[in-house]
Amino acid sequence: MLTLTVCWANARSQERGNLDAASIDNFEARVAEYVKLHNTAKEKLARLTPTDAPSAIKRHEHELTREIRGMRRQARQGDIFSAGISAQFRRLIGITMKGPQAARIQDSLQRAEPVRMELQVNAVYPASVPLQSTPPSLLLNLPKLPPEVDYRVVGDKLVLRDVEANLIVDFIPHAIP
Amino acid sequence: MRRAVLVILTSLLLAQHASLNAAQKPVLKLPLRPKSVRFAVIGKPEQYETAKQMASYRDTFPFEFVIMLGDNIYGTETPADFKTKFEEPYKALLDEGVKFYAVLGNHDDPNERFYKPFNMGGERYYSFKNGNVQFFALDSNYMDPAQLDWLDNQLPNANANWTICFFHHALYSHARFHGPDADLRARLEPLFAKHGVNVVFSGHDHVYERIKPQNGIYYFVLGNAGQLRVHDLRPSKETAKGFDTDRTFMLVEIAGDKLYFQTISRAGSTVDSGVLKKQSSASTGAAAHAAAAGSGYAGMDDGYR
Repeated sequence: MLTLTVCWANARSQERGNLDAASIDNFEARVAEYVKLHNTAKEKLARLTPTDAPSAIKRHEHELTREIRGMRRQARQGDIFSAGISAQFRRLIGITMKGPQAARIQDSLQRAEPVRMELQVNAVYPASVPLQSTPPSLLLNLPKLPPEVDYRVVGDKLVLRDVEANLIVDFIPHAIP
Repeated sequence: MRRAVLVILTSLLLAQHASLNAAQKPVLKLPLRPKSVRFAVIGKPEQYETAKQMASYRDTFPFEFVIMLGDNIYGTETPADFKTKFEEPYKALLDEGVKFYAVLGNHDDPNERFYKPFNMGGERYYSFKNGNVQFFALDSNYMDPAQLDWLDNQLPNANANWTICFFHHALYSHARFHGPDADLRARLEPLFAKHGVNVVFSGHDHVYERIKPQNGIYYFVLGNAGQLRVHDLRPSKETAKGFDTDRTFMLVEIAGDKLYFQTISRAGSTVDSGVLKKQSSASTGAAAHAAAAGSGYAGMDDGYR
């Protein structure tokens, strides 16, 4: 436990070292703002708890999507991953994928059933397209996210996705070398 | 003349039906020990014939629950799909109160965790205990630091004789289409070894494969209950047994320090079976590998061949 904690603390400090502190703070503030919006949208809906009715799950997902989209009508690619933050992420991912874990991460990406598709901010991640797994070593080296959002890889893009609404929040083109 | 042809055809059909029934008659290779933990394993489940075969086996092997290795609702995922791809095929088992415990595959909407019959309690990853076995259901699609931390904290609390982890992506697999996820393995296997995980079940590849113990851990790949990639397997020296020409499911029985398994095809034939002895805390790596390499079930005497 201690070893792993130390390892992650190192990764975190390495992440801070590799990604300048101002960029991390800026990114985290933008994500926090999005999560606030997500929670505001969610408060308008009945709480989703485990149910026997798949229709209730889908309805919740669609309603949450509709609310968030309504509140982010003007959202554009780069709202969260600004040019400066994107440049820092590309640099960080580049370092991770040139390090000792590089071959492993590339291998993992290839075996995860890679997907390629056009992305649009505020669009739903299509149900017919598999969600490619994100290599754990890559996740360990990226800024930590709150549970409302996750990082996904689509082709060479890094996507920030709303987990419960299944919505593409933002993405970085040409993020994966 | 026509009547004679009709009689012959009817006889042939009846004979074929009888032989089919005979072939499908469950042949159980599990010991049915008193108070044992009994469960089934499926990957990519939406297959009526496999489900029917499972129900048929349950008459002789009354398993209490099923673990699902992901891609639970494969392809489109409308509310109607939950019915046609899960509720209808498994109706007989669901009606008898058999519980299903799912993990997320890359073809699953993560919101499946809110679907009550999958018993995920709204979580991407979770744990449950049955008898003397602690199960850890993981989300291998997104093995983030929070999940690794949770696993590292929870594994030592597993107050059970056996610890079993199950998730979608395989750490070891010799299927050509996907194969093993080396990065996932690099992050998970040290935790498994450190905390004495005994058995790992994965899906993703549409084949069945039993891997010789790796670092003292038993690995199974079973992603072909509902979808199949014929001849996709390229067995290696790590392969203990492989099967890629029909769909399969597994039956597992755990009694004391023995895990008995039987892998059954859609047609009802047993394609693999055996008994695994619980690893001692000292048995790791090469020792466990050597002890169980090439093992096969020797009948009901709990021995290795």
